[in-house]
Amino acid sequence: MGMSMGRPWRRRLESGALALIALVWGFPTLWVLYATFVGTGSTSGLTLSNLVQAWNTAPFAQYTMNTVLIVGGLLITQGLVGLVVGFILARYEFPGKSLVTAIFLLQIVVPVYAVLIQDYQIVQGLHLLNTRIGIMLPYMVSGIAVLAFRQAFRSVPRELEEAARLDGYATLGVFRRVYLPRVGPAAVAFAVISITFHWTDFLWPLIVTNSNAARPVVVGLALLAEASESGLQWNLLAAGTAIVIIPVLLVFVAGTRRILSSFAATFDWH
Amino acid sequence: MSTLANPLGTPHRGPASAGPRSAWLAGPGVRYLLLLIPSLMVIGFVVYPTVETVVHSFYQLDALGRVTGFAGFANYRALFAEPIFDTVLRNTVIYAVLSVVLSIGLAFGLAMLLNGHGLVNRFLLVGIFSPTVMPTIAAANIWLYFLAPQLGLFTRLLGDLGIQQANILGEPGSALGALVALFVWKYAPYFTLFLMAGLQAIPQNVRDALRTEDPSGWQSLRKVVLPIIAPMLAFVITLAVIYAMETVDPIYVMTQGGPNNGTNLVMYYLYQLGFNYFSWGPAAALSGLLLGGLSSLSALSLIALERRAFHWA
Repeated sequence: MGMSMGRPWRRRLESGALALIALVWGFPTLWVLYATFVGTGSTSGLTLSNLVQAWNTAPFAQYTMNTVLIVGGLLITQGLVGLVVGFILARYEFPGKSLVTAIFLLQIVVPVYAVLIQDYQIVQGLHLLNTRIGIMLPYMVSGIAVLAFRQAFRSVPRELEEAARLDGYATLGVFRRVYLPRVGPAAVAFAVISITFHWTDFLWPLIVTNSNAARPVVVGLALLAEASESGLQWNLLAAGTAIVIIPVLLVFVAGTRRILSSFAATFDWH
Repeated sequence: MSTLANPLGTPHRGPASAGPRSAWLAGPGVRYLLLLIPSLMVIGFVVYPTVETVVHSFYQLDALGRVTGFAGFANYRALFAEPIFDTVLRNTVIYAVLSVVLSIGLAFGLAMLLNGHGLVNRFLLVGIFSPTVMPTIAAANIWLYFLAPQLGLFTRLLGDLGIQQANILGEPGSALGALVALFVWKYAPYFTLFLMAGLQAIPQNVRDALRTEDPSGWQSLRKVVLPIIAPMLAFVITLAVIYAMETVDPIYVMTQGGPNNGTNLVMYYLYQLGFNYFSWGPAAALSGLLLGGLSSLSALSLIALERRAFHWA
């Protein structure tokens, strides 16, 4: 058995590789935090001045509120639609079911960016340019949410539903007591996909907005970068970046294992 | 006797609740109604624009994007007649192939490493997955700082290694390379998440058996791991191709398509055609081509997945 000899070596090598990848991959984030809270200039020591300065240079309070409203609003509408549609597709047979399924698959299949111009004209026609609703509108239904929840509902044993029905629960009661408590992992995985996508989405909100009233924080950051390109105020830029990434990073730090295991449970397609 | 949780403390509803109201709720009419609005949203913002884009690509469009007459294939001819478009296509192919191969390769290795390791230190995980939560715009700004001539961290590091005056974003080749590196850095961890989920499908006893029977792992990789993970791999490769083709944010921040159109990729060019040159006809033609290519690719991969995993209804 060469195993007992070879194994610790191999394990140490693998751990080393992981640590190296973590360092290289995490370096930009580390740098942002360092440049923001310590500073790369002559002054040393912990400081909040970069953060405060960046916050005051651009309307970050407005930007952040816009992003939170857009991301939160989309999470709720996509989640609700995903739950309802996913449940119907998982548990009922009806004429036209394949067609309905295909419509929601199309939402995943068609790249948003390729219909960007048409969607822009629709939003323009509805007089919703420069509004948060206008940014949210094309994204309100998520095919990924529908598929994730449908899969989760399918894996609930039928016997549980039958038992609840024997206990006298109607459809809504069965849904709330039997099905809803079992979609946790799917909900976490979908939420991670939705939040990271919409928190970081750039081109669509850039096109739809031309004033700060509805601009999300990522667009604001890009404008700050453009404005400071001549002056190269990197500390300011790092602080602006910190404002954007710290909230999402905290969520990820708090829920690392939960997120990883939810992904594993939801995308275990076998 | 109910064994189910009743967290809201509402009184237990007996069989009486299965009256006319709940029969109505469970009825097919309500289900169609619930499906109607979401379906209409997708039709309105995905299906209709897709059809409209393809139709528009055969019409003359003015600077505001309004139809002014039938054009036949004139928009497509105008698109291909533009000499820049050849450069854009070549850049896009090079960028997409390198980005997809490198990011998927790394993601696969990382997924195997992380899966074999049980509990990995939380800070290592946060480090590895931090690019996933960082907006590409933010990442591109940081990379711009690292790669800036003379001042940039990476440039100074190269200087210490004897490579003086490196201007990575100033040369078409190395600028495209930097964009590839950014893609791999940003998306390899995200793909790893999916591949790790795929690897979970290998039962623990099979894994243990493989570890004793085949310590080097190559045989088991080929004969056991790859067949099991193949559908997920196909899905992730599809995602990677779509994301690579849709790359626009880092170009907007780092290179604006330059130098000399060396980093002008297809989606950035589409954005320029429409919103900079108001040349909506060729823009519609390019959208049509992208739609055709990308949606048939992802449709194929989803149908394969649906068949195997989702039990297509």
